[in-house]
Amino acid sequence: MNPDVERELVKKCRGGDPRFYEPLVRAYEPQGLRLALGMMGNMEDAQDALQEAFVKAFRSLGRFDVTRPFGPWFFQILRNQCRDHLRSRKSRFSVEVLDEDSFRHHADEGPGSTQRARERTEAQRILWKGLERVPEEHREVLVLKELQGLRYQEIAGILDIPEGTVASRLYHARRALKDALEAVGADYP
Amino acid sequence: MNVSAGPPPGLPQPEEPAEVPPEILMRYMDGELPPGEAAKVEEALARSTEVQRELAVFRMFHRDLTELRLHDPPPGRSAWDRIHGKLSRPMGWILMGVGAGVWTIHLLWVYLSSAAPSWEKMATSAVVIGVLVLFASVIHERYLEWQTDPYRDIER
Repeated sequence: MNPDVERELVKKCRGGDPRFYEPLVRAYEPQGLRLALGMMGNMEDAQDALQEAFVKAFRSLGRFDVTRPFGPWFFQILRNQCRDHLRSRKSRFSVEVLDEDSFRHHADEGPGSTQRARERTEAQRILWKGLERVPEEHREVLVLKELQGLRYQEIAGILDIPEGTVASRLYHARRALKDALEAVGADYP
Repeated sequence: MNVSAGPPPGLPQPEEPAEVPPEILMRYMDGELPPGEAAKVEEALARSTEVQRELAVFRMFHRDLTELRLHDPPPGRSAWDRIHGKLSRPMGWILMGVGAGVWTIHLLWVYLSSAAPSWEKMATSAVVIGVLVLFASVIHERYLEWQTDPYRDIER
């Protein structure tokens, strides 16, 4: 979204009219859902967390610095919302994100690719099992980097930590994932 | 990283083990290093098969994780309707509360300023106040119970 348009929408939302919030929600919903899914592991909890985060963000717009982009600020709220959800014992990270769509995606890659698709899907299922065993702090940095494809600067903004810490946390997160995969018997060298 | 005692003096010395700090290694892998520094890391990497292997595993994770296909929201279906509902709800409560308050004050005024005998007004007031006090005490008691309930987070 154009930054000037985004700024104007935020200013109008601050007046309390939620109609101007709709374009912001629609613009950040897909990326937000992927982040929430990565953090929560299942669609139902991810959608709950996403909705709550959008509501909280709207109510906190008065404290938002309009000279900064909305996205990183919103993702910070969303990340906190996911953590609160997981800590409230109402939900836990559970892998339900991979379904038949994933298999079909790989199977559509070309003729004779069904076997390969099955193998890729199975590899990804194991990868998620590994993620399930990784501590929350490590999982979130992996999600932001690998699933969201964010740069260190953006991750640092969302997690509210220096860039150097992002790099070091990523290293430990990747090591933790390697250990977790070994524990579930994955065949990574 | 590689730590070894090294061969005895006189024997050919191997190249120095690579010392790449983990943060630099991650920045290199994720393309966050300036070209000059990246070249230095590559030199160091060439001297250590252990770090090369570790980097190869991390790159495999990267490839597999970025290939993950998660659910995207179905096209045309957005969470906006539910979010809009939640955002509009407080306004509904405020309007309903203000309206109910105004009506209550008006009815009280009409009743108290009516020609009904004083004993009737006092008796009715006592009944209304009594019901309100009982209602408030039940709510208060439930709230205290909920606050001290050790099983409140357990799903039933």
